[in-house]
Amino acid sequence: MNMGSLVRATELTMKIRINKAACVGNARCWAVSEELFPLDDDGYIEVEEVDVPPGMEALARRGARACPERVIEIIEDEK
Amino acid sequence: MTEAANLSEAVSQPAHVPDSLVYDFDMFHDPALLVDPHKRILDMIKSAPPIFWTPRNGGQWILQGHAANFDAARDTESFSSEIMPHEQVEAILAQLPPDMPHIPRAYPINLDPPLHAQYRMPLQRVFSPKTINALSGSIRTLAGELIDKVVGQGRCEFMADVAEPLPVQVFLKMLGLPLERLPEYRALVKEHLSETDPNPATSIARLQQVAAAMRDTVLERREHPRDDIISMLWQVEIDGRPTTLEDLENYGVLLFIAGLDTVMQGMGHGARHLALDPALQDELRKDPALVAQATEEMLRRYTFTVPPRRVNRDLVFQGVEMKRNERAILFLPGADLDPKEFPQPEKFDLRRDGKPHIAFNAGPHRCLGSHLARVELNIVYEEMVKRLPPFRIDPERPPKFKGGHVVGVEELHLVWEK
Repeated sequence: MNMGSLVRATELTMKIRINKAACVGNARCWAVSEELFPLDDDGYIEVEEVDVPPGMEALARRGARACPERVIEIIEDEK
Repeated sequence: MTEAANLSEAVSQPAHVPDSLVYDFDMFHDPALLVDPHKRILDMIKSAPPIFWTPRNGGQWILQGHAANFDAARDTESFSSEIMPHEQVEAILAQLPPDMPHIPRAYPINLDPPLHAQYRMPLQRVFSPKTINALSGSIRTLAGELIDKVVGQGRCEFMADVAEPLPVQVFLKMLGLPLERLPEYRALVKEHLSETDPNPATSIARLQQVAAAMRDTVLERREHPRDDIISMLWQVEIDGRPTTLEDLENYGVLLFIAGLDTVMQGMGHGARHLALDPALQDELRKDPALVAQATEEMLRRYTFTVPPRRVNRDLVFQGVEMKRNERAILFLPGADLDPKEFPQPEKFDLRRDGKPHIAFNAGPHRCLGSHLARVELNIVYEEMVKRLPPFRIDPERPPKFKGGHVVGVEELHLVWEK
């Protein structure tokens, strides 16, 4: 076993879960990261769940916090 | 305190309202509000309950706490935006003579779900962040021109010189209305802003004027579409049927009343704050990238819209007993200064890393124009710190404020070294 997979085994993975039906189109998450929080053409969130790529965890948290409707949840799981 | 004479008459307290929830506040004429609005609001947060009943303005509930506003705004079944129930409005209109000119209605701001969504949907794409961001270049040009016009004077009355003409010009441009009509629209906006006549016939007549002023263009675009909102609205459907001239007039009136007075007051509050805070001006001059954060904190610190709701059923809301058809005011400026949500709410903190404000309201009625407003606000602040030397408030002419559904700035005299 190489060291890389050992380290990865204890890493956390992060998911963004969005209550899409409750989105009212503030787009504040999108203002934090267009990549993590894509919008549809009407300006509402397009996705319900996003796997956060490594290195983008802080942005994901900031985007979730920016939602005035509080419909974005961050889920952290051990792999 | 000459305004005290203008206070609306106090009505008697209904039996279900306990004394502990009564607080005297006239949202239009409160003397302290008109001297320094958000100072008064900070004081009111300390001295009155999060939900209180005032005998003024016909007697109404004022929701000033954050939780009260947040929950009520999202509970459209209990707190209706139909200040008169929709069926009742339709019944009254049906009784009017058929040759009577159309009375424009500000749909969908005064509709509840599900009808609300049907009328809102066609507008969403036009006001989406992506569409709006594409306008920022032309908005910046307009803002730059307005500021350059006054820079050599060493002074300006910010509201008339910048805050009012900018959104009106953007409005004309977006709708595709001819720019030659700018003076006509500015006059209508001015009348709309200074309206004190409580007779609804006066405001109906003005809304009809607003609709009339755009009718030629509206009809012309039906035949010859261009790249503007009016043309686009001819091509959409509302609940599966094509739009009519009446729909277009309703939308025009909505955008007129919801989209002009509001953002201009936001600019007024923000420019006043900048004028009082030279250190912030310096910081933004050195690093314009901070303006977007400053805009958010300005929106929180000086939230200015006060949407009304009608209690739609007898209920107990956050421990308060309310009766059907009572009026409940979403006093959003209070929500964003609530210390439970924003520690040290009076402090303007550029790096406040807390919860987001609800200056654009919460729930399905979230301000449709919020993305446009943000772009306009950002650009105005950016261009001000870029083009003007350090500016301050003219000590000879203190600002004047107004109350009501948009807590605003009537006059803001700024001065700087020529």
